[in-house]
Amino acid sequence: MVSKKGKRNTLSTRDITKLGLLSLFNQAGMNYQRMQADGWALAMTPALKKIYAEDKTGLTNAIKANLQFINTNNYIAPLLMGLEVSLEENGEDRSTIDSLRVALFGPIAGIGDAITWFTILPIVAGITASFAKQGSIIGPLAFFVVYFAMFLARVPIAHLGYSAGTHAISKIHENSAIVAHAASVLGCTVIGGLIATYVQINVVTKIQVTASHSISIQKQFFDNIFPNILPLGYTFFLYWLLKKKNANPVTLIILTFLLSILLSWMGVL
Amino acid sequence: MTVTLVQGILIALFALIAGIDFWLEGFYIFRPMIVCTVTGFLLGDLRLGIVAGGLTELAFAGLTPVGGTQPPNPIMAGIMTVVIAHTTGHSPATAIGLSLPFSILMQYIILFFYSIFSVFTKKADEFVAKGELRKFGMLVLLPTVIVAFSYAIFSFLSVYGAQALMKSLVNSMPSWLSHGFTIAGGILPAVGFGLLLKSMLKAKYVPYLLLGFTAACFIKFGNLMPVAILGASLAWIEYGRKRRENDIDKKFKDVENHLENVGGEEDGI
Repeated sequence: MVSKKGKRNTLSTRDITKLGLLSLFNQAGMNYQRMQADGWALAMTPALKKIYAEDKTGLTNAIKANLQFINTNNYIAPLLMGLEVSLEENGEDRSTIDSLRVALFGPIAGIGDAITWFTILPIVAGITASFAKQGSIIGPLAFFVVYFAMFLARVPIAHLGYSAGTHAISKIHENSAIVAHAASVLGCTVIGGLIATYVQINVVTKIQVTASHSISIQKQFFDNIFPNILPLGYTFFLYWLLKKKNANPVTLIILTFLLSILLSWMGVL
Repeated sequence: MTVTLVQGILIALFALIAGIDFWLEGFYIFRPMIVCTVTGFLLGDLRLGIVAGGLTELAFAGLTPVGGTQPPNPIMAGIMTVVIAHTTGHSPATAIGLSLPFSILMQYIILFFYSIFSVFTKKADEFVAKGELRKFGMLVLLPTVIVAFSYAIFSFLSVYGAQALMKSLVNSMPSWLSHGFTIAGGILPAVGFGLLLKSMLKAKYVPYLLLGFTAACFIKFGNLMPVAILGASLAWIEYGRKRRENDIDKKFKDVENHLENVGGEEDGI
């Protein structure tokens, strides 16, 4: 067997840039058995090939190791890939590299999801949708520009991972908790705003007091308590069903439709 | 209005590209904001596409594929919302509801793919073991190709094949039913926001949610930018506060350790 710490080639800046762009294929072979593993290994292959060069056994072992179960955030993947190739290049033990990847992909994915899906998407969607709803092309254009920039960000993210090295991991870990906290603050504030702006429930029922005078339940009752109180209430009701009753989103969508149709038929909404 | 054969084919081609993007999560052109706009453009009604994009994007803002779960499909929701609004003359808000069966059907097709693509993993391992990396690469990309063509076929059948049936079905709806769909379209974002809150809301973030909600209720402005700025400011304040807190904690621990050491030495003497 070829020695574990055989001579290894170093990667150039271009190689890392290429790795960042190839991280696009992270989900190419997505499946339930090992999630992103196949696509992950595919994206890693060119860099590993260069590192191992003549050492075919080392290369095979490295790709095999990268074919183990992995499921992480798509914008975190280039960070981990960059980090991993820096370890491969330094000739770290196979087991060290693998256990580090396995230990990191889950927790960092959580932070990545909090930032990309739960903060950036609602903000970008909320702001661009307010343009789009008025028929302005600025909405979809701005949306596209933001996500194109997010794609390009894979390159600096891969470089960041590559230059971070192992000693920086504890530092990333420590700071990421604070970043995730700040992101949640921003995300929750925006979601509060989104609920007020985009969930529309308007009661049309009027109570006939006298022949000529009626009271609108929406205007004279709900709007006087607090504007948008029904959207807030309904959102919290759904939240409660999701959190405490573990409801399936599709069930809630169907529930919303049935309620809407029923209340429309009754003339309430 | 009807969808011509050429338009059907063009939409199917776009669905193929968006389907690849959906699978890889590369450029986010699979989000309703972009899908609706492009579909509207292909049907010769760009404005309708943009407006529908804003509405559908919000309805899907919280329906994210985080942690390997699959939400109702955003591409089919986007395409069918615009197609149904275009062919039947209903408002995009009503059309969102009618597009849902297509979206949920595609969701199940994708879930089915996640399961069956597991069969490729064994072959992938074999190719790597034999050092046939080209074949390995092709095999990993195969799922992406299968997904892309499924999108093209499914969207063509839904858009072009089923339009007559769809039209007669929609036109025979009583007004309370189509009104119910419109209402549901307006409430639907609540499901997404409920899902977002399920993943990120903790007791300590409730005040931020309420701040964002209240701000959006009373700040009359065309888009959500003021709320986003408010949220960013709060996040900034929290980031600084957490960092100081960490620093103080660290210093406090240092002092504690120091005192313990001093005590130990004195005991020794």
